[in-house]
Amino acid sequence: MTTEHHPAPGQGPASAQELFQRLGQLTRMLRESMRELGLQKEVERAVAEAVPDAKARLSYVASMTEQAAERVLNAVDRAQPMQTEIEAGAEQLQACWDEWLNARGDQEQAGELALQTVRYLGEVKLKTRATGKELLDITMAQDFQDLTGQVIKKLMEVMQSVEDQLLTMLLDSRRAGKNPDAEAPLSAASRPQPAEDTRLLNGPQVDPNARNVVTSQDQVDDLLDELGF
Amino acid sequence: MDKGIKFLVVDDFPTMRRIVRTLLKELGYANVDEAEDGADALAKLRGDAYEFVVSDWNMPNLDGLEMLKQIRADDALKHLPVLMVTAEAKKENIIAAAQAGANGYVVKPFTAATLEEKLAKIFEKLAK
Repeated sequence: MTTEHHPAPGQGPASAQELFQRLGQLTRMLRESMRELGLQKEVERAVAEAVPDAKARLSYVASMTEQAAERVLNAVDRAQPMQTEIEAGAEQLQACWDEWLNARGDQEQAGELALQTVRYLGEVKLKTRATGKELLDITMAQDFQDLTGQVIKKLMEVMQSVEDQLLTMLLDSRRAGKNPDAEAPLSAASRPQPAEDTRLLNGPQVDPNARNVVTSQDQVDDLLDELGF
Repeated sequence: MDKGIKFLVVDDFPTMRRIVRTLLKELGYANVDEAEDGADALAKLRGDAYEFVVSDWNMPNLDGLEMLKQIRADDALKHLPVLMVTAEAKKENIIAAAQAGANGYVVKPFTAATLEEKLAKIFEKLAK
């Protein structure tokens, strides 16, 4: 909210009683002005559309961030034991080799240790491949930032437009209150206009049951096949 | 397929650019450049030789669809394969992208396997 629309200054700090009284007056004035100006319907409509929309978007953000966090923690849970095994195996082999070196062991022991080492290297290859997969999964889980970011941006636009409408209404009612004969001040131009041609810019689908929306990559592929692309 | 092929990844979210870059690297494509919107991408495409474009749709300045149209209208660029990777999931979006000349369409969130499959399909078609 802007800070330019404070109540009249210079009246000193108001008591709670006064404040409530003033708020009550303001509310009544607002309602009356809105009725006079025929604005009630418009504001009701804005709120009726914006609130459920905001709720749907926020719950989408909540579930996406929760999913991402779970996905990352699960990947770490799978990768960590493998890391521990790799480390423990290396430690054990190193100890064996150290012992052999210090004791100047014989050829037979060396052969046995070499076999163990080769087996260990095979395990390391498999386990690092698996942890690499988990690391990639952790990277992929970060896609929530793009998807929720787009939704939050949309939400901010909705909030902005509700704020604009409420502000316009307040200003208009003030003016109307001062001069009842003033022409209806809410011209079409003063209302926030939705950006043109945003039909194709909807961002992530927060409602999987929406019409004319694909919900999987398979559906995208089917549609393109149908169209001959 | 030549793994040295030069990619341009276009997305306004740095996180998503990094994800796509990481995936491409995982698939063996390490020669990847980034652009933050359609306008930035067109400037880069006109300034340097690229062989593949992976682009988001919803971006400031110039969106992915407009960028695609301008690529197809430019004699020096129109041969470039363009794969759309976007959260826009309406049927009319997919149709509009296909009509504008997109070589593939991947809906976010996507998996590594999906990206790999779409790239392979596009390379296969180009080789014919």
